[in-house]
Amino acid sequence: MKRIFLLLLALMVFPALIFAGGKQEVAKEEGPKEVKIVIRAKGNPTEHWKVDAFDEAVKLLNEELQAEGDNRTVVIEKIFDDASWADVVRSFAMSADAGEAPDIILGGHEHIAVYSTAGYIIPLADSVSEIKKMYPEFDDVIDNLWASCMLHGKVWGVPQDIEARPLYYSIPKLKALGWSNAKIKALPERIKKGEFTLDDMIATAKEAVAKGVVEPGHGYWHRPKRGPDFYQYYFSYGGYFYDPDENKLVIVEDALEKWYAFQRKIVDEGITPENFIGTDWRIWHDTVSHGKALFWNGGSWQWGEWAGIYLKDQGGQEYLFENVGYALQPSGVRGKSGGTLSHPTVYMVTTEKASGRKGRDLAVRLLAKVTTKELNTKHAVESTHIGILKSQANYPPYNKDRFLSDVIYMLDYNYFLPNHVMFSTWEDAVWEGMQAAEIGQRSPQDSTAATIKLLQAELGDALIVK
Amino acid sequence: MNPDIEMTEKTTGGGGKYDWFWFLLPALILVVIFFFLPIIITFFISGTNMSTATGFQNWKWIGLKNYQRISSHPETLEHLWLTVKYVAFTLVFFNLGMSLVIALLTTHISRGVGFLFRAVWLLPRITPVVVYVMMWRFIAADAPYGILNQIIIKPLGLKTANWLPMAPFLFIVLVNGFIGASFGMILFSSAIESIPKDLMMASLVDGSSYLQRIRYLIIPHLRWPLLFVTTFQTLSLMTSFEQILVLTDGAYNTEVWALWAYHKALSTYSGNLQWGFGTALAAILVTIGIVMAVIYMRYFKFEELVQEPKIETQ
Repeated sequence: MKRIFLLLLALMVFPALIFAGGKQEVAKEEGPKEVKIVIRAKGNPTEHWKVDAFDEAVKLLNEELQAEGDNRTVVIEKIFDDASWADVVRSFAMSADAGEAPDIILGGHEHIAVYSTAGYIIPLADSVSEIKKMYPEFDDVIDNLWASCMLHGKVWGVPQDIEARPLYYSIPKLKALGWSNAKIKALPERIKKGEFTLDDMIATAKEAVAKGVVEPGHGYWHRPKRGPDFYQYYFSYGGYFYDPDENKLVIVEDALEKWYAFQRKIVDEGITPENFIGTDWRIWHDTVSHGKALFWNGGSWQWGEWAGIYLKDQGGQEYLFENVGYALQPSGVRGKSGGTLSHPTVYMVTTEKASGRKGRDLAVRLLAKVTTKELNTKHAVESTHIGILKSQANYPPYNKDRFLSDVIYMLDYNYFLPNHVMFSTWEDAVWEGMQAAEIGQRSPQDSTAATIKLLQAELGDALIVK
Repeated sequence: MNPDIEMTEKTTGGGGKYDWFWFLLPALILVVIFFFLPIIITFFISGTNMSTATGFQNWKWIGLKNYQRISSHPETLEHLWLTVKYVAFTLVFFNLGMSLVIALLTTHISRGVGFLFRAVWLLPRITPVVVYVMMWRFIAADAPYGILNQIIIKPLGLKTANWLPMAPFLFIVLVNGFIGASFGMILFSSAIESIPKDLMMASLVDGSSYLQRIRYLIIPHLRWPLLFVTTFQTLSLMTSFEQILVLTDGAYNTEVWALWAYHKALSTYSGNLQWGFGTALAAILVTIGIVMAVIYMRYFKFEELVQEPKIETQ
């Protein structure tokens, strides 16, 4: 059957090859001296160091090779764009199957599950202790980040950056509500200890609307479009994603219903606009960065966007420090500490078959060279991402950045998405249910029931309902 | 003898038995490569578990399991019913209704103004889809930003809103309908223009009103383009999803069947693209399309509508 399929595929591809003309690359006998390594990453313009850091790294690597008497020289090719994750996955999978994938691909850590199952990437080590021994640079990576790179006991990637998703708040609006400076300053600590919960946030925002401190519907703004940020509410109410012992995805019914009820409640209480989901990003950024909302959830990387784009003329970061505060995402349960979802991006090394090139050892070694406090800090500072290395905490170019230093503690309260091959299906289903609940299309209870039914139909045995 | 006929005899008389095949061959190659093979491959992949996680190397043949999954999927009927509604409303109110109204109006006013008016209606079709849909998004955007809110709702003192989630179905019909209307408009206009002028004038001289002329003279002359537009646009709307993708990405219950197939096969937020399942969804759409085409062809008796060429062949 596979032969028939391949024959059909060949028939499809054959004309394309004919009409492609003489552009096909003929394999060159390049000799053993020059090894080409192609790196692909995606990001917004402030994140260009995801690939540009390799310029310096490859120099260091070639110097080392020369000193060792190794006759190989590494040359790199960088591919960087602002594509969506879905586009990256699609194009990477196609190129890997054609044997034309880049040697190093940057992805969300959850992509490890799909890429490794398909045989597109190589395991870098059999354990965390093993990878830490491979190169001293890897030993410098913050220990708990390796958890995001693990699957079936092996390490499949090297962390590149990480972020937090804080709860932001407008300091002037809280003051207008009668909060003292001391009370505002203590808010992050109270959230950390679980003394200020999501219910308290709703009550405060409601009061702000009632007193005219903010316009109706401007008490609390969540992310306007789809993204993993929403799972923080599910987590806040005791939900979790994955059972590693069973290697199955998990849906906690009670947490799901409370999450959906929260999404509807913020609309019913008048602190979030009706039909808010889908609001344009520019409207959202403009509103929150100018302090027109009391509370909002965003990413730590957005701090840089607000400073550099939306508040450039008002003083950038200085304006933000005066007017905006940040804390962990409050818990939904009193007494339980707040948290944050982190989504590390990781470098992965493709197989020889996927890339069509040899030299995997050099690709891994190149990753070690890019995992330094000097290079990673350039990316962290410019794109306001949190550092991934222990040494960055005491590295002046990093720790003189007030925002990054302030939020680094959040990594002690973070959690990750699961590295499970069917997680995107889990995401599709819960997102659909959440939308239906928030816009009032279904009650939170009905939406929960529909979501669980959908998850069971889509995932079958790969799901545990708690 | 007519010289044209003489030439025809000379060129066809000396040919071999299979000359027709060589004439058809270039078109046949294109049809096979770009129509039949993709359909065969679609049906083939729909019988596998192929996904990003299996790649093109490690997939397995799973027979009809993808179709069983679709039949028991809790959202199948929802997507199907939405698609039927979307196709029906867009077709009736815009691709046929609006286009016919525009064609009738613009052929009953001065030629220059009519031409200009029709040219304006072509703008949605010639504007790049993303730009066109972004304009709609800004029309509907939340207060204080949306054009609708700023120019109409606020001055009237009504309650502003984020209109897209308020009436998502209306918006997907409008966005697609404004593009689709121009197709029928062009065909209907040219068909009306080709009705002999003496017939048009005679009907008025005989005392019919403009409405009667439309009912008893123009519409009967438009049977062929009406049926063609109905058939073509039904099939086209069933498989179109790009405007909806850019407008809502399937949110607020706007996931039509074709968009569902696209999302499953080619666009997930974080990982596994289910090519097998997605192509099974597409295969169902192909099947429905073929069945609909056959029904249209038989029900509307297209063969009777196509006149024999008025030329002597012997």
